[in-house]
Amino acid sequence: MKLTRRDFAAGIVAGIAAPHIISSARAQGATLKIGMCAPVTGPAAESGGYAVKGAKLALEAVNKAGGILGKQGELIVEDDQTTNPGIVLAFSKLAANAEIVGFLGSIRSTQVHAMAPDVIKLGKPVMIGGTDPNLTHMGNKWLFRFRPNDSYSGRVIAEYGVSTLGKKKWAVLHSTDAFGTAGGKALTAALEKLGAPPVLDQGYANQSQDFTPVVLAIKQSGADILGSYFTFENDLGIFARQLRQLGVNIPWVGSPSIVNITALKLAGPALYNTYGVADYAEDSSEGSKAFGKLYRDAVKVAPDNQSSWTYDAITVLSAAINKAGSTDPDKIRDAILAIKKFPGAEGEYNFDQNGDGLHGYNIVKNDKGNITFDKHIEFND
Amino acid sequence: MDLFLQLLFTGIGIGAVYALVALGFVLIFRATNVVNFAQGEFSMVAAYLMVYFAVDLGWPYWLSFLLALAGMALLGVIFNLGVYYPLRHRSYLPVIIATIGASILLANSVLAIYGPQPQVLPGWFETPGIQLGPVYLDSQYLLIIGVTILLVIFNFWFFEKTLLGKKLQATSQDKEMASLLGISVSTMIMITFIYSAVLGGLAGLLVAPVLFVSIQMGSTIALKAFAATIIGGFGDVTGAIIGGLALGVIETFGAAYISVPYKDGFAFLVLIAFLIFRPQGIFGERVAEKA
Repeated sequence: MKLTRRDFAAGIVAGIAAPHIISSARAQGATLKIGMCAPVTGPAAESGGYAVKGAKLALEAVNKAGGILGKQGELIVEDDQTTNPGIVLAFSKLAANAEIVGFLGSIRSTQVHAMAPDVIKLGKPVMIGGTDPNLTHMGNKWLFRFRPNDSYSGRVIAEYGVSTLGKKKWAVLHSTDAFGTAGGKALTAALEKLGAPPVLDQGYANQSQDFTPVVLAIKQSGADILGSYFTFENDLGIFARQLRQLGVNIPWVGSPSIVNITALKLAGPALYNTYGVADYAEDSSEGSKAFGKLYRDAVKVAPDNQSSWTYDAITVLSAAINKAGSTDPDKIRDAILAIKKFPGAEGEYNFDQNGDGLHGYNIVKNDKGNITFDKHIEFND
Repeated sequence: MDLFLQLLFTGIGIGAVYALVALGFVLIFRATNVVNFAQGEFSMVAAYLMVYFAVDLGWPYWLSFLLALAGMALLGVIFNLGVYYPLRHRSYLPVIIATIGASILLANSVLAIYGPQPQVLPGWFETPGIQLGPVYLDSQYLLIIGVTILLVIFNFWFFEKTLLGKKLQATSQDKEMASLLGISVSTMIMITFIYSAVLGGLAGLLVAPVLFVSIQMGSTIALKAFAATIIGGFGDVTGAIIGGLALGVIETFGAAYISVPYKDGFAFLVLIAFLIFRPQGIFGERVAEKA
């Protein structure tokens, strides 16, 4: 037999390619893949890092406990650049990988809105942390939420202020962006329901350099309690300082940003003795405590909701796939929606038919800079 | 009356910050006939330099302050040589675009080093403020107002009474004639950039303890300072000061008595009114008169 140049070349190519093809074939299906869109770059890169760490910690625990459907779980992270176009691109890259059986989306509602049409087209389950109530109420059956939505935060702030603190003359302060306006409306509606309509409903524009007019309006309104929805920590910091400087010391119950680490650093003592709603509070349950210890040991920083929701998302998704006994998207969906009384880091998961897993918030107190758990308020409707 | 006085103090305080940044706009415009859109970033860079020296390294506050200003002087030199000088013979448009590019570069460079989280910078004083009857006077705002008054006096003395100031004025009025009289135009422009960078930096250092140190702090202030410059009259030092103070007071009173969410809107409504009815600003000359 005569060896031609063509045969020789074909042999060389086959020789080089064969090991790769074999290892690739072996690798395919060796792990069960979960895709994650996370802000690796951009303004939220720091919190994005925490989110990825939370997800990886959960997957390590799942793999140690036997994995998913007998395989080791593998996390594939794509950078969403903290932008809407970025997350659309990141999700489309992940979606192109047919081996990925489930996804983690964003903690930012606007980004989830941006990727939502592609989620419907793909038809696979996506875990999210965005808190806009509409996300799970707009006919997208593939979105599953791992944080309580904003309709609960307003009710919890109102319930705590009226029933626990016994205050009825409310000043409601909120940003005029989508988040702040929705939050302010939810709080006002909840207060009206409790028979304590606000004496002042005050919006402000983001990135205000001065809050003197706002503080003076609160002072003049005669309010005996303040409820707030701040979007940016620097606004919150400036307002908190000016509020105290101008002698307003009424109780203050705020949205989650009031207990954010950055806000605590900026405002310092001006936020002492304030209250906040928080989806993650370390002492709120055994699950929260266990996650807190695991996270502190591994990452060496205090845990917060950036990492706790991704931890829960991976844990719940893995449990649902195992329960479904299949990677069929419809079967996974049914298994997630069937989850009840599941103890997570964020709280106890009881999924409703919309895909919302949590239905209440924790109230925490700023005790001289330390965030302490006060109580959990749950709603069953 | 108590409310009025409190708002007046705050309005003047915040207006003084706009005035300091506006001064930097005016000086560079007079010397080069272009608007430096990186003026706000000068404030931001100085504030981060101060955080580095005073907070990260723990050096004494006064030393950190002087080092941050020295850093700004150096940035003024680099800015002049890197952004303005290569384009000095081109029309104003490439230079303006170059300043916008420089502002993006400065903001992203600081973002890459410090990340997006705002930083805290302590103020000059232990006491946050004093209660004077019904009015609370924030000590940092008192300092800002005091420094602005001193700078007005200094600018008057420097530009009207010193040879260097007169050379700078001559350069800004007519470069060719100044050159014929033996004045080194490029040196004068270099000095203008250094002074403007230091002024912008000074504004940043003074306002940082109140507004915190963040990547956006410069652009937020610069936008208002730019409006103040137009209201005062582009190219006029007194106009920049008056425009800045007026803007601070108008937006504070507008927010208190009309609408808080539209606070920024009041500032820009005044700007639009000036552009329509008196485009040369309060102290500016008409172009025809100048010619």
